[in-house]
Amino acid sequence: MATAQKWGIANIYASYNNIMITLTDVTGAETLAKVTGGMVVKQAKDESSPYAAQRAAEKIAEVAAEKDIMGVHVKVRAPGGNKSTSPGPGAQAAIRALARAGLKIGRIEDVTPIPHDGTKKKGGRRGRRV
Amino acid sequence: MMRSIRIPADRVGTIIGKDGEVKKLLERLSGIKISVDTEGEVVFDDGIEGTDPLKSLQLLDVIKAIGRGFNPHKATRLFEDDEFLEVMDLKDAVGDRVNQLARVRGRLIGRGGRTREIIEELTGCNMSVYGNTVCLIGNSVSLPVARHAVELLVNGSEHATVYHYLESQRPRLRISEMGFDL
Repeated sequence: MATAQKWGIANIYASYNNIMITLTDVTGAETLAKVTGGMVVKQAKDESSPYAAQRAAEKIAEVAAEKDIMGVHVKVRAPGGNKSTSPGPGAQAAIRALARAGLKIGRIEDVTPIPHDGTKKKGGRRGRRV
Repeated sequence: MMRSIRIPADRVGTIIGKDGEVKKLLERLSGIKISVDTEGEVVFDDGIEGTDPLKSLQLLDVIKAIGRGFNPHKATRLFEDDEFLEVMDLKDAVGDRVNQLARVRGRLIGRGGRTREIIEELTGCNMSVYGNTVCLIGNSVSLPVARHAVELLVNGSEHATVYHYLESQRPRLRISEMGFDL
């Protein structure tokens, strides 16, 4: 183990259908690892589950340990825009799993894109009908 | 970093509580100092050294839950592991018409809160219908079940159908309650 005390950034994108965790260095330009929901679970419906998030975060933590990263800043993101602005259930589970895996958690930041008024939300006047 | 969140003005009294009880409870559970103003602006600072970043995220959810009509004791459930808040906007599913919104709200709550009670009892979630939103607090297993039940009701299923669905999910929830994964 090198003694370098490096920090990274864990970009967590948690929607209602999937979760995506990208581990980068502090500049955010250099991707070190990426894990998505589909890589850790079999069924498509489980991709956004807290369990998938946990597994994904564990994988990320493994890579982080390999690359001598001792802590991560976290950037949480929901779909945003004219879609939901609150992160799916995976976000919290992922952060918790990262902490459990021994990574230090630095700043947690919400980077959901918020429109300064954009386009109309899908669904129409009478709402979403199934 | 300072975080601020707006809650409806008529929930300000709830979040502060009698003699500031609720506010103190939240501060004790999260270890973060909160300030609330009369217009419903809730501000707290999680940049101070020694605050648990995960707790600040949970506090955000708890405040949001109280703002969405939950009583504070139910909302503090969110400080536990594997408890999540789900906020659903009825306008997304029903549209903008006031009559329709009121009708669907009534369907979700039921006479004397009967439907809400049944959903809460059979899933173990907590549910709150406030304004144009439905909010659920529950764990990762029960929450999807409760959400599906709410979706069914919003989309026009009969109550009996929904109760049957909830009953059918009961064994599955029981197993996970006992601590086995699915």
